[in-house]
Amino acid sequence: MLFFRQLMLTQFRNYVFDSFTFTQNVVGISGANGSGKTNLLDAIHYLCFTKSYFSRPDAQNVHQGMQGFRLQATVTRQQQDFELLCILRENNRKEFLIDGDAYKKFSSHIGRFPCVMIAPDDVELISNGSEERRKFIDTLLSQLNEDYLKNLIDYTKILQQRNSLLKAAAEHNRLDDALLDILDEQLSERATNIYNRRNDFMQEFIPAVQQEYESIAGKGDEVHINYYSQLHHNSMQRLLRENRPRDLYLQRTGAGIHKDDLEFSMQQQAFKNIASQGQRKSLLFALKLAEFNILKQYKGFAPVLLLDDIFEKLDAARMHNLLHKVCVQQQAQVFITDTHKERLESAFEQLGIGFELVKLE
Amino acid sequence: MLIPFFIHIIPAHFLAKPYPILYLCKMQLASNLLENAVNEFAKLPGIGKKTALRLVLHLLKQDTAEVSHFGETITKMRTDIQFCNRCGNVSDAAICTICANPLRNQRLICVVENIRDVIAIENTQQFSGTYHVLGGIISPLDGVGPEQLNIESLTNRIQTEETEELIFALNPNIQGDTTIYYIQKKIQQLPCKITTIARGIAFGGELEYADELTLARSLTNRLPVGSYISNR
Ligand SMILES: Nc1ncnc2c1ncn2[C@@H]1O[C@H](COP(=O)(O)OP(=O)(O)OP(=O)(O)O)[C@@H](O)[C@H]1O
Ligand SMILES: [Mg+2]
Ligand SMILES: [Zn+2]
Repeated sequence: MLFFRQLMLTQFRNYVFDSFTFTQNVVGISGANGSGKTNLLDAIHYLCFTKSYFSRPDAQNVHQGMQGFRLQATVTRQQQDFELLCILRENNRKEFLIDGDAYKKFSSHIGRFPCVMIAPDDVELISNGSEERRKFIDTLLSQLNEDYLKNLIDYTKILQQRNSLLKAAAEHNRLDDALLDILDEQLSERATNIYNRRNDFMQEFIPAVQQEYESIAGKGDEVHINYYSQLHHNSMQRLLRENRPRDLYLQRTGAGIHKDDLEFSMQQQAFKNIASQGQRKSLLFALKLAEFNILKQYKGFAPVLLLDDIFEKLDAARMHNLLHKVCVQQQAQVFITDTHKERLESAFEQLGIGFELVKLE
Repeated sequence: MLIPFFIHIIPAHFLAKPYPILYLCKMQLASNLLENAVNEFAKLPGIGKKTALRLVLHLLKQDTAEVSHFGETITKMRTDIQFCNRCGNVSDAAICTICANPLRNQRLICVVENIRDVIAIENTQQFSGTYHVLGGIISPLDGVGPEQLNIESLTNRIQTEETEELIFALNPNIQGDTTIYYIQKKIQQLPCKITTIARGIAFGGELEYADELTLARSLTNRLPVGSYISNR
């Protein structure tokens, strides 16, 4: 499994300098509102993904009034130790080093130290627009496959180029057909790769999510999940060709894998229209736990689990189920935050597991 | 959570260079002439105000004649230099020395993005054909379309010069690919062979650290061992 032994934060958000040592698989983090619990989890996320979980610019994470930050951790992955170091310099240049070697491309770090985070606002994954769900799927697939991430980065760049060309064509009232043809070919190649990968993956992922949901919520409310893609019935080449007149008129690319979605439904209705808050939370956990399991299965070791404020909104039975699942059944390092130290302690004691508590002031 | 006593633990190199920009904004020079010169030097790429000041002070110590010569050289370089009518390289005449050299293979054209690439390839002394400088690569996002580049002159050249081979030496990225495909499409009916420089593991690089794409490319573009050894 992946295990964080030591974590040092310098000038990161509310931390000026702090150092933490962890020895147990289950780490409870307690503290009042605003004491830095979420920030601590985000620091771990930073070291796994080279960026914040909350898509905000690097500079916003610098402690107010100071310049630059530094995050450092000693982690163990399958008996091997690594030193992870992320530095934001005073000029806002970010460096990421592993055992003293700087990465040339941050994308090569993704997937080597996997972690799964669950934060309170994550229910937006279920109720908000499709962009959040694509981001979720992309984050997961990028950790499984470096090639997927490369295709995705390329796709995004070519899409921007294509949209710029559509705009320029409208402005100058003249289109270079040959150039648009080439961008379409380049875009199609990546889209096809991404689509195939997503489609294969869904065969495995959707049943896994449904199974997790059932085990958290119990039998009864069954969730149906559908992977929507315009590429199910048309090749990307064809979509681009057929939509070209409309794209030229609207000056942007209307069809493609950037319209893919995961659709949830319950009793033949859209999940977000009928599900209760607890049911939404359960589906969120099901998605994240399925992510965790798949990462574990592909990597051959357990990712780190970061659970932020999960005690809110789940009933006692669901909570117990969930903690049992992640703290007892899994050989994984789990970080759990809560405002109440006692609530954490009693939950862990009920499960009869070893744990340690970090109290933030 | 705020423990200022611990600040001294912060590694020194992390907090090195105390606010250089703030300090230099306030740089007070006694002479406007001096300040103007410093500002001009600081416009150059890679030169900050501090270095600019050092260079200007150095010039100030020289003879007037020497500094005049320096200034004239720069001015003359800018006003007299031309771009080769044929390939777009820098030149002292209408046709550059590479294009004018009868010993070079005039039916071989190496397509590059800019003049710096010509210099880099010339420094290898491995290429004896001619060049064609595009002046950039296609990127609509940056407002660069084919018409902003020397692409038409290239297709004209291939037609009139009966070019046998076109070698693309562009950066291995998406825009580089776009540019190659575009030109290829424009000249596909012409009997000219099209190749690109090999892309793969850098010499001295380690397989373990190469990304998958590079490794995959190196496998596809593998070489016979004989040529591999002789190329080293
Ligand atoms: N750049 C920064 N510089 C200094 N302090 C910051 C910075 N960014 C955030 N903070 C502080 O961090 C605190 C928030 O930390 P965090 O979100 O980790 O709290 P929390 O313990 O998770 O709280 P809650 O229980 O409400 O979720 C706030 O008090 C905020 O003022
Ligand atoms: Mg919080
Ligand atoms: Zn020339």
